[in-house]
Amino acid sequence: MAQRTADRAQPKDPQRGGRLARLVLSYTVLILLTVVFVAPLLWMLSTSLKPNVQTTRFPPDWIPDEISWEGYSTILTTSTQTPVFLWFVNSMIAATAHAALVLVTASMAAYALARMDFRGKRIFFVAIIATLFIPPITFFTPNYLIVDSFGWLDTLLAVIVPPAAGGIGVFFLRQFFISLPRELEEAALIDGANRLQIFFRIILPLSKAPLATLALLMFLINWNDFLWPVYILFSPEAQTLPPGLATLQSSYTTNYTVIMAGGVIASIPVLILYMFAQRYIIEGVSRSGLKG
Amino acid sequence: MGKRSRQIRRLTRQEFLLMSAGAGAGLALAGCGGGSQNNPAVQGQGGSGGGGTEYTGPTVELAFWNGFTGGDGPFMRELVDQFSSEHENIQVSMSTQEWADYYESVPAAVRGGEGPDVGIMHSDQLGTNAARGVILPLDTVAESLGLEESDFAPEVWNAGIYNGQRFGIPLDMHPLALYYNKSLLEDAGLDPNSPPTNRDDYEAALEELKSSGIQGSWVSPFPFTGTLQFESLLWQFGGDLYDEETSKATFNSDAGVEALTWMVDLVQNDYSPRDVAQDAEFIAFQNGENAFHWNGIWQINAFKEVSDLDWGVAPLPRIGSEDAVWSGSHNFVIMQTSDQNRIDASQVFINWISQQSIEWARAGQIPARASVRESQEFADLQEQSTIAEQVPYVRFVPAVPGIGDVQPESFDQAVNEAVLLQKEPKTALDEAAQRADQILEENREKYEA
Amino acid sequence: MATQGVERTGVQPPVARSAGGGRKPTDAGTFTPYLFMAPYLVLFVVFVLVPAVFGIWISLHNWDYLLPGKPWVGLENYLDLFTPNSANSTPFWNSMEATAKFTLFSVPPLVVIPLLVALILNQSFRGRNFFRAVYFAPYVLGVAVIGILWRFILDPNNGLLNYYLGALGLPDSIPWTTSLPWGWVALVGPTVWWTMGFNAVIYLTGLQDVDPALYDAAKVDGANRWQRFRHVTVPGLRPVFLFVVTTTILASANVFGQSYIITQGAPGNETRVAIWYIAQEGLRSFNMGSAAAMSYVLALALALVSLANFALLRYKED
Repeated sequence: MAQRTADRAQPKDPQRGGRLARLVLSYTVLILLTVVFVAPLLWMLSTSLKPNVQTTRFPPDWIPDEISWEGYSTILTTSTQTPVFLWFVNSMIAATAHAALVLVTASMAAYALARMDFRGKRIFFVAIIATLFIPPITFFTPNYLIVDSFGWLDTLLAVIVPPAAGGIGVFFLRQFFISLPRELEEAALIDGANRLQIFFRIILPLSKAPLATLALLMFLINWNDFLWPVYILFSPEAQTLPPGLATLQSSYTTNYTVIMAGGVIASIPVLILYMFAQRYIIEGVSRSGLKG
Repeated sequence: MGKRSRQIRRLTRQEFLLMSAGAGAGLALAGCGGGSQNNPAVQGQGGSGGGGTEYTGPTVELAFWNGFTGGDGPFMRELVDQFSSEHENIQVSMSTQEWADYYESVPAAVRGGEGPDVGIMHSDQLGTNAARGVILPLDTVAESLGLEESDFAPEVWNAGIYNGQRFGIPLDMHPLALYYNKSLLEDAGLDPNSPPTNRDDYEAALEELKSSGIQGSWVSPFPFTGTLQFESLLWQFGGDLYDEETSKATFNSDAGVEALTWMVDLVQNDYSPRDVAQDAEFIAFQNGENAFHWNGIWQINAFKEVSDLDWGVAPLPRIGSEDAVWSGSHNFVIMQTSDQNRIDASQVFINWISQQSIEWARAGQIPARASVRESQEFADLQEQSTIAEQVPYVRFVPAVPGIGDVQPESFDQAVNEAVLLQKEPKTALDEAAQRADQILEENREKYEA
Repeated sequence: MATQGVERTGVQPPVARSAGGGRKPTDAGTFTPYLFMAPYLVLFVVFVLVPAVFGIWISLHNWDYLLPGKPWVGLENYLDLFTPNSANSTPFWNSMEATAKFTLFSVPPLVVIPLLVALILNQSFRGRNFFRAVYFAPYVLGVAVIGILWRFILDPNNGLLNYYLGALGLPDSIPWTTSLPWGWVALVGPTVWWTMGFNAVIYLTGLQDVDPALYDAAKVDGANRWQRFRHVTVPGLRPVFLFVVTTTILASANVFGQSYIITQGAPGNETRVAIWYIAQEGLRSFNMGSAAAMSYVLALALALVSLANFALLRYKED
């Protein structure tokens, strides 16, 4: 810190001095934060590798006496009534389809709301924002009846479609679209391109980062959803991962090993997805087309 | 599974269409169409056909749902598989959810025509689910199976009755018990093989433990296990949760205040730490830091897994003026259906499992059926049979509809506030009782309307 | 009303405006906008608008979908909430107070810390991808897992935190999960840990979207680091900032799992939040009419907060 102020006070070469100080400060902050962030995750990993009776020992042990796969084997030993692999596939299908559905519908609607003038636009937007304020739990019973009338109870469609109707994706993308520069669109319009062409050739390529972010977040929210699936999925084959894993826990005591092992298993695919999405989020390619 | 509930489904769809159309009159009509309360199929069954302990109809696949997650599951699952292999024309598949989720989703599933055929419910849930048309009356089932009160402990047999009809066939009882750490007792100079049975001995033992540096009786402020302890003590001091008609709360009586005060005194006298979090009393017992632990019979197998723990289990000490202990009970129920074959097959299944309930007892339960409970095999389950000494005085929460709403809004909170030393026991209980009375009245209006 | 503020935030920063100009490309054909809106609108109408209206209808009844009688009660479910000592008013407003406190304590750190982290992570340095993954990692876990993890870490008697505080010679018997004000720390801390990555990713995405040409232009104009932050980054992030603030308020106001698992509402019901009480009433006690009424009161309160928030953010821009 002192280093930093000293550097900044020197008028000679503020660029280089500031950069070094900033780097030191950044690393210090980052490493401290990392400890805070990682310690609970390590504890979770360590707990998942202990036999359940060792998990609650006090004082705490970070290293298991011996590695126990008890938690993982409880989860991964599947039967027709606890088909964990099927739950995993169900969650994959549901979260992917949900994210895709949000991307398609929300990007189109957000584009119209950000860039076009039309009758009713303001009403639509107010309605979409206003309904965001209604707690999602309010929709459970009405949507249960609606989903039932479509014959979707106990099917993945009920997990994929209704949650995609929330306005968050539209709101998110609209906020990005309104700040996109208009020059390219204007040029394309003058060249006689139609709206669909502009949307696909200009807007979407410019928005890789927000689209990747939205896809990631929508996938995750769906992947971890618990309350709604519990309400409309009933049979073992239809479950997604979170309610499925919950059936493996003990009703009377907290089985830390199984819960933490479940957390580890469920988080691995999402972390991989994150690594993948991050490339699009961070690369900052979106502007490259504009510079020339 | 879809077919048998076609009628219910069609109503649902109509109801929805009417509702989204927004037609006021239609809505009122649709409201009447909802859950069909009475079930002609079972009522009208009489002596005709089917029934009994044999099923001769076409092959059926029964779905059996319950909340036996975790350690209980495998015991029940094995029984179910054995049943299916012994019965050519009845195949049963079992699925589990945590109890809280189960009670939320079973009604939704049954209404949507995706529900199970057979289920398990706690005795205090029977009234609610009967009133809401989720489960069927089982008088004829009990009759055709020849089940009678004398086969069961009377307390548990009568817990399954709502509005003069039987809705549950009892499977088990699971009372609270006193777990004790033998090595800690020994270290404090107490006899590790005779845990205290009355108030004086219990308090004297705690004093001995305290002088050897052990807080001997951790008190939980949460429903598991604080409220269970409070309910047992309330009954021991001669009180009750509600009045005879279950229309008014009486847990704030002198007995209730005495019971809760005794729990708070355990904290005040340093026999329990303050601020015991969820599961902390259980964890402390496992870790050898808590000498006496009031918990349910279902924990037997959990403690057996802890290799370096030298423990025993006994009936609760009598702290108040009489013997009493809180107990829950799992009951078989049959879900709303009009398919007689399924009902017949379900009753064969229920009867068979109930006769094999010795296997279920190994999961940490007391069989409800007297014949099983009095068998040598049960006597050989040392911990279970010791806890079963309490059967003559087990107490249950009454099965009136909506009773499950009262506890979390009233005495759960009073126990929490008092044990965490936020409020005086009497104040906490009085406030809770006022709230309980309001909910009881709301429920009466709701379920009698 | 609400749109006013949102629309205004879309105004390009001054530097950008000079680059733009020309005719507005907003006039599309008559049908085109509706074609773009149609797929989403179908979903919206069926699964949000109809249920929202239906929810209001439910709130005017004593409504249980399984009971044959669903008597019309008019506004009674709402009036009950505003009648002192009625069955629901005290517990409901207690839970609203808990939600308000949680929102008040959790929104500022959840808006500010991720922004700082995103600004750091947006620089180029060795290992930044590692750090980005680390801060995001907790968010991939479900609330059940993080709740139980933290309940154990924070356990007053058997927990890790008190154990290590004791090892450092600090007080080692802090009642994190059973007493106030510690209970709020036990709810807000894990929430920040858990969801910070969500907001940080959104900020990072927003930072990618700020045109680098603007920074270059500002440098040419002789702007220093702070001025560049103030005049390029801040205006460029404004639409994203509005999104983050709004959704963080919404997420905090909808908190449920943390309070249900970590403090379990203790002491008494002081940390029992509104969604918990609504879920208890609607999904466990099957009083769907009064639960719906409570939901709409909560929604209204949120709408008021958000209107103030929109107005504030627009005000700052003027």
